[in-house]
Amino acid sequence: MNIENFPDSFDSTVDSGLAWLSDNGAGLFDTVNDALKGIYEGLLWLFNLPPYYVVAVLIALLGWRLAGPRFAIATLIGMLFCAFIGLWSETMGTLALVVVATLMALLVAIPLGVIAGLLPAMDRMIEPTLDLIQTMPPYIYLLPAIALLGYGTGTALIATFIVALPPAFRLTSLGIRMTPNEFIELGNASGVTGWQMFVKIRLPFAMPSIMAGINQSLMMAFGMVVIAGIVGSGGLGETIYGAIRTLDIAKSINAAIAIVILTMVLDRLAQSAAAAQGGKRS
Amino acid sequence: MSDPIIQFSPGKYIAPFVDWFNTNLHVVSKAISVAVEVSLHAIEGALLALPPLAVIAIVAIAVALIVRVRVAVLAAVMLGYCLISGLWIASMQTIALVSVAVLISVSIAFPLGILASRVKRFDAAVRPVLDVMQTVPPWVYLIPAVMIFSLGRVPAIIATVVYGIPPMLRLTTLALNQVPKEMIELGNAMGATKRSILFKIEIPLATPTLMVGLNQCILLSLAMVVLAGLVGAGGLGAEVTRGLTRMEMGLGLRAGLAIVAVALLLDRVSRGLLNRNRRLAGTG
Repeated sequence: MNIENFPDSFDSTVDSGLAWLSDNGAGLFDTVNDALKGIYEGLLWLFNLPPYYVVAVLIALLGWRLAGPRFAIATLIGMLFCAFIGLWSETMGTLALVVVATLMALLVAIPLGVIAGLLPAMDRMIEPTLDLIQTMPPYIYLLPAIALLGYGTGTALIATFIVALPPAFRLTSLGIRMTPNEFIELGNASGVTGWQMFVKIRLPFAMPSIMAGINQSLMMAFGMVVIAGIVGSGGLGETIYGAIRTLDIAKSINAAIAIVILTMVLDRLAQSAAAAQGGKRS
Repeated sequence: MSDPIIQFSPGKYIAPFVDWFNTNLHVVSKAISVAVEVSLHAIEGALLALPPLAVIAIVAIAVALIVRVRVAVLAAVMLGYCLISGLWIASMQTIALVSVAVLISVSIAFPLGILASRVKRFDAAVRPVLDVMQTVPPWVYLIPAVMIFSLGRVPAIIATVVYGIPPMLRLTTLALNQVPKEMIELGNAMGATKRSILFKIEIPLATPTLMVGLNQCILLSLAMVVLAGLVGAGGLGAEVTRGLTRMEMGLGLRAGLAIVAVALLLDRVSRGLLNRNRRLAGTG
């Protein structure tokens, strides 16, 4: 391979590789794509089923339980504001994307994090990969996803999933490792089984750290979901992307306001949930 | 979905202000644009004036002398990839964008960070603002920048600067607050002026944490500069955007890998500087 030809040969290799993948793995990728899209659309349908004010009140009530009345009122006003500026369904789209992607990430990251917390060797193996994931600009995760799944929600979800993995994994593994030695010895002395040791001793100690990880993953996912508007994810990201391209100032301001409101609501909710967990344990 | 009873659009009320600003205060935005463009051209010109191989050699030697040989090899390999992937110019544009943005961020955040470590009230006022700035997705920063500076590299720099300020400011404050009280008292007892306490005692002791802030500032700036490819900032971000929107996956992945290379280069070199400082602090 000649060095001057590298770009061309690289491009043609990638193209033919992708062509091979989509010829041979089309069924698989379509299934993944459809499954992701199905979950997202189901959740979106659920969010859009009740009228906007019911959803807003429900979120505000959740806020009341977790963070108190002042936050609940602010949440209610903020969510109603999103509806009044005519971006309710987009806001719900973004919310659904964030929820689906974060849940997927947590389903993978927390069990892996627990294993890595128990097995330091595995932790050392995964750590460099996570470093790499966190060093790279999130934007580029859209590339492999769009190559395999094409334009649409599936791509947005996969890219968001990748970005949301590291914080939950890291903080879970850290939390599990941080169990005070005395308590492990205490457990051993009182003859608990391995499973009891894990559920009754390690997990409770790890809980605050895990909750912090969930919070961070959620916020990473939020940032990515908005960026993913460029691949047609749906939601506010796509609204902003469209508005910037057409230089529709009014609409892009509205969408930006809706994003900021949603960010603050989600961040506070997750933080309060984490704080509530931490408080209960200590 | 049922339509809300009340409907309004704050954007409709803000848009006229933006228009007014653009027609009447054009001079201001123009001046900023020119200043940013000139500094970008200078750095880009310097990076592109020499043949690529010479740039790689200079960077490798400088890194080897200042940091360590292993990092220098990594830097050479990463820059080498940028060259053979046919994206040398785009890579240098991205590096120039990041450098200008980081320089501006640091020169704003560093004094403010010092101020925040001195004046508790200022710190308390700034903290919530930083919290919000760090939770809001980077996309949002591009919108006002585009509205005032239209498309191109200038809004990219502005948005990147705003995005890069919080980590640097926070870590500057933290770094200065971590300086042991005894050292400052020592300075006072010897009758040092405030200025020499700051420059001879506080900043040297705070350097490791300051370098962490710089590293974060660089990486966040890179992420933003790449994202700004969407608003016509050029560089590698534009190539990735082209790959994404035209489905030219080869180009997209090639540019994506070049971004990884630039990210690794900037991260490892700035971390290398940090470790060097630790080593010097340890021996000194």
